[in-house]
Amino acid sequence: MIPGKIVRFLEHHANVAFAGIRDRDLVPFGHRVSGWRVGDDQRTMTVLFPGEFLDRLVESLQQNGELAVTVEEFPSHETYQLKGLYRHHRGIRDGDAEMAERTRRRFVKALKPMYPGAPEDVLNAFVSPPSLAVEFEVFEVYLQTPGPGAGSRLVPPVER
Amino acid sequence: MTMTRLPPEIRPVLDNGTPAAMVTCSADGKPNTTVISQVYYVDDSHTALSFQFFSKTMRNVRENPRAFVCVFDIAGQAHWALDLAFERSETEGPIFDAMDMQIEAIASMTGMSGIFKLRAADIYRVLSVERVPHPGLTASPTEGRTSSSG
Repeated sequence: MIPGKIVRFLEHHANVAFAGIRDRDLVPFGHRVSGWRVGDDQRTMTVLFPGEFLDRLVESLQQNGELAVTVEEFPSHETYQLKGLYRHHRGIRDGDAEMAERTRRRFVKALKPMYPGAPEDVLNAFVSPPSLAVEFEVFEVYLQTPGPGAGSRLVPPVER
Repeated sequence: MTMTRLPPEIRPVLDNGTPAAMVTCSADGKPNTTVISQVYYVDDSHTALSFQFFSKTMRNVRENPRAFVCVFDIAGQAHWALDLAFERSETEGPIFDAMDMQIEAIASMTGMSGIFKLRAADIYRVLSVERVPHPGLTASPTEGRTSSSG
């Protein structure tokens, strides 16, 4: 189960994410992410993907199910990685575009001070419109915020 | 041995210290993603990645040398997708020293001084590289793609 503190982080603060998969030969591959939402059960997460390498993404997920998603708040660098297994995918429906738009607004707001002269549409383009939604079940959560605790597993807790 | 050459257009993107995302995979098939501070241009067929905290990434590439890196070019409204193969790790020498200086500069700019610390410069061979324009709100997803591979 994703802890409430991390759910709140994901829903209200995180502004950028990246997904990792692998193929049958264990060759890793990554995909940009346009938005995300934690399921009401706090065990599943829906990740929105822009239309870039969706055939490869879906083929790998259907073949082995392994998915890892790193979600960060920029510029604080608070970061978590969620790992789990693919459940299903679907096309975009009502509410998904708004989910991506929330991510875009948070990201652009954070980025503006670093790119003061950049036109807003250039910054907006970083978060592309979603073309596919993937639901996966989260089994593990890791802390990835830079520092001594980076890489430590939060869920399930490590037994000492 | 498969290898490809990095196009000159990627050099300024790498040199400006833009953060990147990296994906590796363990021998038992679990992918791992992480944000990395720096992708360093070594020569036209090699990059070096900063190893700072994430021992899982380090373990993975020693079990399974393949890696994927996405370098974001925010101003260029695109990203670069690189397929890489781990070759070796360096803890001293000119590449390590140059990366260490860049890491210090990035840490200072991002409020991470004292937290970002280079432990090793991991050297990777470039297997393929592709520039992927962000579809944004106007262009088609495949418009303007360029790629090369060995």
